[in-house]
Amino acid sequence: MTTTSPIVVAPRKRRDPVLIGLWISLVLVAIIWLAPVAFITFTAMKSESEVFSSAAFALPSKIEWNNFALAWAKGDFNNTFWNSTVITLVKVPLGLVISAMAAYALAQIRFGWNKMLLVFLLFGAMIPFQVMLAPLFTLVNSLSLIDTYPGIILPYLAFGVPYQVFILHGFFKAIPKELTEAALIDGASHFVIFRRIFLPVCLPVLAALLILDFVATWNEFAMALVLLQDKSMWTLPLGLMSFQSQFSNNYSQLNAAIVITVLPATLVYLIFQRYFVSGLTSGAVKG
Amino acid sequence: MATVEIDNLHKSYGALQVVHGVSMSFQDGEFIILVGPSGCGKSTLLRMIAGLEEITAGTVSIDGTVVNNLSPKERNIAMVFQNYALYPQMTVAQNMGFSLELSKIPKAQITAMVKETAEILGLTPLLDRKPSQLSGGQRQRVAMGRAIVRDPEVFLFDEPLSNLDANLRVKMRAEIKALHQRLGSTIVYVTHDQVEAMTMADRIVVLRAGRVEQIGTPLELYDNPQNMFVAGFLGSPAMNFLAGRLAVDGSPSLVLESGETVALARRPDVGAERDVVLGVRPQDISLDPTDGTAAVVKVIEPTGADTHVLAELAGQDVTCVLSERLDLKVGDEIRLSFKTPAAHFFDLKTEARLSAGN
Ligand SMILES: Nc1ncnc2c1ncn2[C@@H]1O[C@H](COP(=O)(O)OP(=O)(O)OP(=O)(O)O)[C@@H](O)[C@H]1O
Ligand SMILES: [Mg+2]
Repeated sequence: MTTTSPIVVAPRKRRDPVLIGLWISLVLVAIIWLAPVAFITFTAMKSESEVFSSAAFALPSKIEWNNFALAWAKGDFNNTFWNSTVITLVKVPLGLVISAMAAYALAQIRFGWNKMLLVFLLFGAMIPFQVMLAPLFTLVNSLSLIDTYPGIILPYLAFGVPYQVFILHGFFKAIPKELTEAALIDGASHFVIFRRIFLPVCLPVLAALLILDFVATWNEFAMALVLLQDKSMWTLPLGLMSFQSQFSNNYSQLNAAIVITVLPATLVYLIFQRYFVSGLTSGAVKG
Repeated sequence: MATVEIDNLHKSYGALQVVHGVSMSFQDGEFIILVGPSGCGKSTLLRMIAGLEEITAGTVSIDGTVVNNLSPKERNIAMVFQNYALYPQMTVAQNMGFSLELSKIPKAQITAMVKETAEILGLTPLLDRKPSQLSGGQRQRVAMGRAIVRDPEVFLFDEPLSNLDANLRVKMRAEIKALHQRLGSTIVYVTHDQVEAMTMADRIVVLRAGRVEQIGTPLELYDNPQNMFVAGFLGSPAMNFLAGRLAVDGSPSLVLESGETVALARRPDVGAERDVVLGVRPQDISLDPTDGTAAVVKVIEPTGADTHVLAELAGQDVTCVLSERLDLKVGDEIRLSFKTPAAHFFDLKTEARLSAGN
């Protein structure tokens, strides 16, 4: 059938069909995920009248920056944004530090019941917190911590730490024990080993956990709803909920509020993703 | 620069005892090699000296001080691990300077000390690289550099060359030996490579299943092995063993179970008729068309310098190293002579040596 000489058909032009399939699915998934983002962002920048007159995915003819200012004021964002920031900025780093230290101790310092403690911790990661909401409320209430920062940060830590310990423990366990031993002989204390050797090695994992935990904490809704009753203590997701019910007819401002809420998480991702990308490519753990 | 004294050392992991009362003492500046088959407790012993493994019973002393309860760093030892255990996120210079930094030595001084050591090991051009950017041999060298910089009392090496290719291993062997001569420090070195043990050690400790089989200089162990285990472990190819009964009269000879007779150079002084094991190194076997015992050639391996021949003698494999270039084929019958003064005799049951070999 073919008359072309085999030399002309350069083999490197032929693409692996599996690779092409993967690329197509990647594009499809990206479109599915980007569609709502595009819709929300565009709508947030349209005037109220344009929202109804233009197509859903049409670009705004004129960008209405004012939507953001109005949404910020109406949604009491001054307050909720501040609360979310305080809670997230305390909880996420603190939780990671606690998890990393606990995981190091469990993985590298032998004291007899490491295994039992780990199993105990895993229970914490396995219980869905929704089941615990009512008893949690009673507990926090009995400590008179409802509507306080500690009253929400402590439960966040309690539910966040176990799975982080679980993941980090896996990584620390995989680091050859000779590395710790070499450092012990060199005169390092466990704290120095943890800080100087384990943390740098695990930077990519820590960056990934930080991003995940930031997003999860920033967007957390159910526990905040139960534990933060006073409006002045509300976090962004709670504020957004009330915004929806009060101003449900103003789509552009509602979407502006959503954009404001999502933006910080996106920024955190963009800042920290390079650590875990560079970490993944910078080479193996093994010396 | 220190002596090491090990007294009746025991180690158990729960109910499993892996070191059974080991005692030995190393002199200042000695190069000691611990050898033995896999799992015999070499690493465990080394790690107990280092302070990385708890001591179940017995004592370890360095320079006359019992160090059982001292932490690894207080023992002033340095250890080189089989997988090198370099700190992956630090550069070569940082790896080498880490211990100095932790003992609060001023930065300028650390830089100078690291530089000097790097010079000795030829690491100067690599100081700014990360371990992942080094070859296996270079990593090995950095691991040694990290140990040398600290100028420790005792160096501990746990199979430091086993991840290197054959050529590099030979090269590093010579380098470590030269380094020992230069530093004059006490070295305890674990390996299961008997060539390494023979070529590098001042004294060799042969271990089996958590017990010391024999301690001595390489040639002492080679010439006068205390038992069949030591005899078979050192020397390459391994010593041949033939079990049989010493003939009472006539010319000295050994009658094998199959009825064949093996002529001997002399009759060992072991009393009357008794079952023994004859041990002869492959290099001590020769061809003797008239007086030799018949064997059939199974494998021929010319190495260039000499020829290794594996032959079957009365149902047993016998290896011999023949210096002549012979025109042999598989299946040929040859006659092997065991009439060497370097023959060894061992008790069949206890496997212990019966009389001096020469
Ligand atoms: N943590 C441990 N728990 C239980 N048994 C152990 C432990 N570490 C080592 N052993 C056992 O102790 C024995 C000696 O181990 P060791 O590592 O000292 O052997 P080795 O002589 O260094 O062997 P190799 O040449 O393979 O390195 C082995 O039988 C091993 O199974
Ligand atoms: Mg070992």
